[in-house]
Amino acid sequence: MLPQRFDQAKPFLTLGIALLAWLLLPTAVKRVARAGFFELQAPLETTASYVRDLQDFWALKTRSKNELIEAGRDLARLNAAYESRIQQDASLRAELERLQSILNLPVPQGYRAETARVVKRDFTSWWQQLVIRKGRNHGLVEGSPVIYAGGVVGRVREVHAYTAVVELISSPGVRIAAAAEGDTRPISYQGGVNPTYGPATGLIEYVPLDVFVTPDTPRRLVTSGLGGVFPPNFTVGYITRVEPSSDGLFKTGEVRLDPGLSALNEVTVLVPESPAPAR
Amino acid sequence: MSVNGTERGGGLVETHKGYNPRVIVFYLFIAILLLTLAGGLAYQQLLQAGNFRESERLQNQRRILVPGPRGNIYDRDGRPLVANRPRFAVTLYLGELRKEFRSEYIRIRKAYRETGDKDVPSPSQMERIARFTVVRRYLDQVNRALSRNEKLDANDLEKHFRQQLLLPYLLVDDLQTSEYARLIEQLPVTSPLQVYASSIRDYPLGSIAAQTLGYVTANDAIEAAEDFPGAELTTFKMKGTIGREGLESRFDELLQGQTGGAIYRVDPSGYRVNPPLSKRQPVHGKNLHTSLDADLQLAAEKAIDSTELAGAAAAIDIRTGEVLVLASKPDYTLTDFIPRLSHGAARDITARGAWLNRATQGLYPPGSSFKILTAIAGLRSGHIQPDSVVECTGTYQVGGRTYVCNNHRDRGPITLAQAIEKSCNTFFYDYGLKTGVESLAAEARRHGLDRPAGIETAETRGMLIPDPAWKKERRDSRWYPGDTANMSIGQGDVLVSPLQMAAFTASVARDELTTTPTLLHQPDRPDRHSERSGLTREQYTALITGMEACTVTGTAKVLQAPFMKIPGLRIAGKTGTAQKQTAEGTINFAWFICFAPVENPRIAIAVMIAGDTPGEETGGGRYAVPVAGAILKKWDEKQKSPPASMLPTHLTPAP
Repeated sequence: MLPQRFDQAKPFLTLGIALLAWLLLPTAVKRVARAGFFELQAPLETTASYVRDLQDFWALKTRSKNELIEAGRDLARLNAAYESRIQQDASLRAELERLQSILNLPVPQGYRAETARVVKRDFTSWWQQLVIRKGRNHGLVEGSPVIYAGGVVGRVREVHAYTAVVELISSPGVRIAAAAEGDTRPISYQGGVNPTYGPATGLIEYVPLDVFVTPDTPRRLVTSGLGGVFPPNFTVGYITRVEPSSDGLFKTGEVRLDPGLSALNEVTVLVPESPAPAR
Repeated sequence: MSVNGTERGGGLVETHKGYNPRVIVFYLFIAILLLTLAGGLAYQQLLQAGNFRESERLQNQRRILVPGPRGNIYDRDGRPLVANRPRFAVTLYLGELRKEFRSEYIRIRKAYRETGDKDVPSPSQMERIARFTVVRRYLDQVNRALSRNEKLDANDLEKHFRQQLLLPYLLVDDLQTSEYARLIEQLPVTSPLQVYASSIRDYPLGSIAAQTLGYVTANDAIEAAEDFPGAELTTFKMKGTIGREGLESRFDELLQGQTGGAIYRVDPSGYRVNPPLSKRQPVHGKNLHTSLDADLQLAAEKAIDSTELAGAAAAIDIRTGEVLVLASKPDYTLTDFIPRLSHGAARDITARGAWLNRATQGLYPPGSSFKILTAIAGLRSGHIQPDSVVECTGTYQVGGRTYVCNNHRDRGPITLAQAIEKSCNTFFYDYGLKTGVESLAAEARRHGLDRPAGIETAETRGMLIPDPAWKKERRDSRWYPGDTANMSIGQGDVLVSPLQMAAFTASVARDELTTTPTLLHQPDRPDRHSERSGLTREQYTALITGMEACTVTGTAKVLQAPFMKIPGLRIAGKTGTAQKQTAEGTINFAWFICFAPVENPRIAIAVMIAGDTPGEETGGGRYAVPVAGAILKKWDEKQKSPPASMLPTHLTPAP
């Protein structure tokens, strides 16, 4: 029989052995284990999100018929407006293609929009990310830009079979070549270090010296389209503060992000399409 | 019971005595040894701790110095003449690639072992190969993102690794805006590849006033402020700049930014251990507000360019002495110095003689523009009266030599004002000789023509107002009346710079002796004055009447031509055409000095255009007057309607 002192140390010993075993495991095995863990976890989270959707559905069922009729009318109006916009867009696209054809310009990279429900939101000082309910099986690729009605959400960081992790623009790991609205000169945007429940902000660098803002008259920061990842003119946030940097060449500043980022239910992933050859 | 072992069976057993001197000695010996050890330990830990800590610090800490951006240079209206612009580059922090270098080294070593090749590189060679492979992999990443085909220089990489490991390694320099945007978005935030913006000189209005502004070159020896810690540490310095000519050189200390930097802890291999122990941001240098007027400067340079000859122009605010124009042609292109001047460009500048700032460093005989000084000397000495008359026959005999008048014309009786108007040599030969060389030289010295004008940039000290003593000393020859005659019309050995003549003209306009020009602008600068010239009102009026007539009906009457006339502006001036004998023949220097408006003098100008073809007439009226006319026209326009700012959109106004 083992001495009592050894019995007491057993849990620590087991932990130590487990840690040692993990350390000694080949990297490939570790990677498979990690991926496997996530893939096993994914169905649970996906199921939970479906249950939440069902919950929302039943919650909506409690609404009165009048409310639903009114919402239906609003939706119909909205659809009509969108239909009109689609037609305008189609006409503009045709014109653009005609001009590109005349000038023999290469066709810019296009995107395929993949809409996905949000499964999980993770806002800590370590992570600022979303898990969405679409993954490799839906054609998502790492690095794809993610948008929503209010502008940019972030970029796809990890892609699993049925889910994907989106790093939000509030995360320091996301950097975008942005521009002040109405300006073409690129500004480097990077997510800030944001508290869990606090208002999300981002930081900007290389701001031209003639960009002026005040907290009362913020200026919209949009994607420049120059970086090759994000298409142009999507809202990143609002520049609320700029100050000259020490090098005297630029300004640095702060960007207020949309609080709606923390309550997203659905996002759109822009999956890059292969660029068409020059005509 | 006995304790003594010897009583048990008589065997060999250990005995203990209460007192054994040999053991005591042994104890003592041990105690001394222990004390020595303890003492040594205390010495090392308590007394030497500071030294060890310092040695460890010197061994493990490195300092990086980053230069502060230079201050801007503005014209008097706040338009930037010299500013800074960002130069984007993509750099690689080799210090963050240690693990990758090691992994690549192991892979290479394994690959060589597997091949069984006898000709295996040495470990250090394999390390070099590993470093090159890893860095090239990153460069390929950049090339893919930018669609470029940049190459990696193995020797340059190795030199950087050995000598400047803590500094970022430059992979691709001078990125376009779109390229920099692409890298920002496509490179991971944590990548050792980073986009780096450095500050280089920018010339928003082009290369105007090139020699006056000067240029900068790379400076490897940037210095930190005295209170910047870590002076004793091994220090790596990023390249700064140093002013080499003109204002960039003269005000280098003011324009230089304050050096910033950081102190890092490094491991024994020299790799950085983040984060920095201390850090200080570089500070932008102070801005310089010059008195130059970019509009006038551009007008002057354009006009000189149109002559296709070398020349210079200087314009001075008569009331304050602030220099409005300081132009010299040929000049150089300031952007050629960024990042460094090529040998070809340097050779071209030398061949064209463009290094010289002709306005401040060029020395030329002033020709007939010197007649104003002769007139003042004659008037003050009493030899010339306002109504003095000379019979001009077209020639003038001095000793055995015949001197010809301007254009060999027989003008008949001529007064002082007419002599200035028509630039009559005979009048000034006659009265110059009567006034005498000593009086002429003394008057020139009173007006400061024998010394630098006192501007802030480099100025020649070779100006010359000759006199008999000088001739005796330098040429061991006596002074002849012909020398005085020559000097009276600004010929012979008289040498002045265009800036000096502009300052002299400003002094004449104020009826004073000297004007000290300055290139620094001060909006509320009080009017500057010097001693009065000593002319009576009548004498001064005669002088100015002649100068004004010169620009209306005299040798500068081209100013009245429809394409050059400035309505409502009264100008007083004097032309000059000096000759200089060269090996190839006689070349001319065209001069024009003037000030305006006559009734309330504000601007004084001196223009010199150097002829380049022997025997070709390069007259002041034809070549120099139009340049001054262009400056005056622009000046008059600005007086009537202050200019809208020419500020380029990407630059802020002068703070």
